[in-house]
Amino acid sequence: MNRRAHAMWALALLGVMMVGAVWQPVDPHTVDLQVTLQPPSGQHWLGTDHLGRDVASRLLAGAQPSLLAISIVLVSSLGIGLMAGVAIGFGPRAVSGQIRWLAETALALPTLISALLLSALFGAGLIAISAALIASTWAPYALSIAALLERLRAETYWTATLALGSAKLGAVRRHLVPNAWPMVGALAGADAGRAVILVASLGFLGLSSDTGRPEWGAMIHEYRMFLFSEPQLVLAPVLTTGIVAFALNRALDNR
Amino acid sequence: MTNLTATRFVVMTFVSWLAAVAVCFLLIRLVPGDPVDVFITQVNIQASEALIDAYRAQWGLNESLPVQFGLWLHGFVTLDWGISFATGAPVSGELLQRLGWSAAIGFGGIIFALAFGSGLGFFTAITPGGFADHLSRAMAVAGQALPAFAVGVIALWVFAAELRWMQPFAGGTLERLVLPVALVTFFSVGSVSRLVRAGFAETVQAPYLKTALAKGLPFRSAVWRHGRRRAAIGLFAGIAPDLAWVVGGTAIAEIVFGIPGLSERAIQAVAARDYPVLQAYVGLVALWIILGLQACAALRRALDPRLADAALAS
Repeated sequence: MNRRAHAMWALALLGVMMVGAVWQPVDPHTVDLQVTLQPPSGQHWLGTDHLGRDVASRLLAGAQPSLLAISIVLVSSLGIGLMAGVAIGFGPRAVSGQIRWLAETALALPTLISALLLSALFGAGLIAISAALIASTWAPYALSIAALLERLRAETYWTATLALGSAKLGAVRRHLVPNAWPMVGALAGADAGRAVILVASLGFLGLSSDTGRPEWGAMIHEYRMFLFSEPQLVLAPVLTTGIVAFALNRALDNR
Repeated sequence: MTNLTATRFVVMTFVSWLAAVAVCFLLIRLVPGDPVDVFITQVNIQASEALIDAYRAQWGLNESLPVQFGLWLHGFVTLDWGISFATGAPVSGELLQRLGWSAAIGFGGIIFALAFGSGLGFFTAITPGGFADHLSRAMAVAGQALPAFAVGVIALWVFAAELRWMQPFAGGTLERLVLPVALVTFFSVGSVSRLVRAGFAETVQAPYLKTALAKGLPFRSAVWRHGRRRAAIGLFAGIAPDLAWVVGGTAIAEIVFGIPGLSERAIQAVAARDYPVLQAYVGLVALWIILGLQACAALRRALDPRLADAALAS
């Protein structure tokens, strides 16, 4: 598959997730003990779980926490990363050295472990997950943007712009942002995938924020005892998480 | 390694570890909610003021923060890691018992990933565009883009439920370790193979390889003999992020396959706000990551004479 096809797939999936976050064919919370563990049918596309809830609807509703985490993480780590990158690239030596050290340290943080700790401190939830993700994802942006700035400063057109009297910040916006876009795109795609994985991982570990609300990892956690008797019940959320994470990760990658 | 670099190595390791542990210690102390209150709620007893004060005194909570940190540090070094809020048992006994499982999964995964990944990277470099190349690329993408628990659950389904090759929850020690180690290996093989490939691929391009071939060495052994050091240097420079990943991957593997390891206990501790267990866990994880990073740096210095000279000069 080429790059464009990857991007189209990811966009289509995101569209389905957005629709699913607000609309489901059956109410995902309705418990019906008459129809537990049903195989897939016209009424229940992916069957029902051990409480008679519609699995397809729960999967669709489970897109909501993932989408929320993706947007929080992308907006904040891009923002922080951009600021830190410019600070490393243009800031005074004392400051830039400190921020570079901080960024390099942040890269060594195990995301899942920081998420675990933050969940213990502030309660399991999207805030803890997002904070952990931001802590580990801003650094690559900052370091790549700093490296880009260093390369940019050696370019003749950059010297020319400054010689013509452009303001530094304006020049950064006009020349840096277009140059940075392919790299930022690849990082953002990988981060969106990672956000989905981390939300689901914490849910799978039994640390979901709200056990009542459907969430893919929490569904796997809840259904895993059925792996031997009703494998389709476990495999549905497993494959959903896998496909979404994979598609987002590949979508903007230009390798 | 000279005395000077050895001293610097030890000091840097200790300072980084101290910083990581101190941050975690501060965070726990800054969170609203007194540890004694958490403990009283956990064990669910009617506690009098006197009892609470006694606990506060026993755990040193009346001291200033630096003194408390000093007490904790002394305890950690002497393997007295406090009492678990949730179980009331000494933390060190509980965690040390579990350390073996986690270490077996983590080290096993790393060793297999290094072995398979290096081989794969080597064959990728000498046959670009071949089967090894495609496999290595696919593994690298899979390792980055797939959720570890999803791969683990599918492996459990295929090997334990469908094929019935193993009993992951009930079998012998070795039987229980196969799938977790394979999971950690699966997620690191790709990045190892890409790092190793880069080193060997540069060698394939290098002029000195032509010399080696002209001397009559077979292609494969020429690349291996002249490229392995460069490949190893690149590997130890780029493997650092995987060290952090292995901790998380081991945690997922322990939960998926029901292994009574360190991370499994830590996850219980998160749900119960069992701070002594978490603090000790962070101390161990930080030690592992920092020692790993320093070991990689030391290996690079040992393999790359340019780096050793630079370290002496600075």
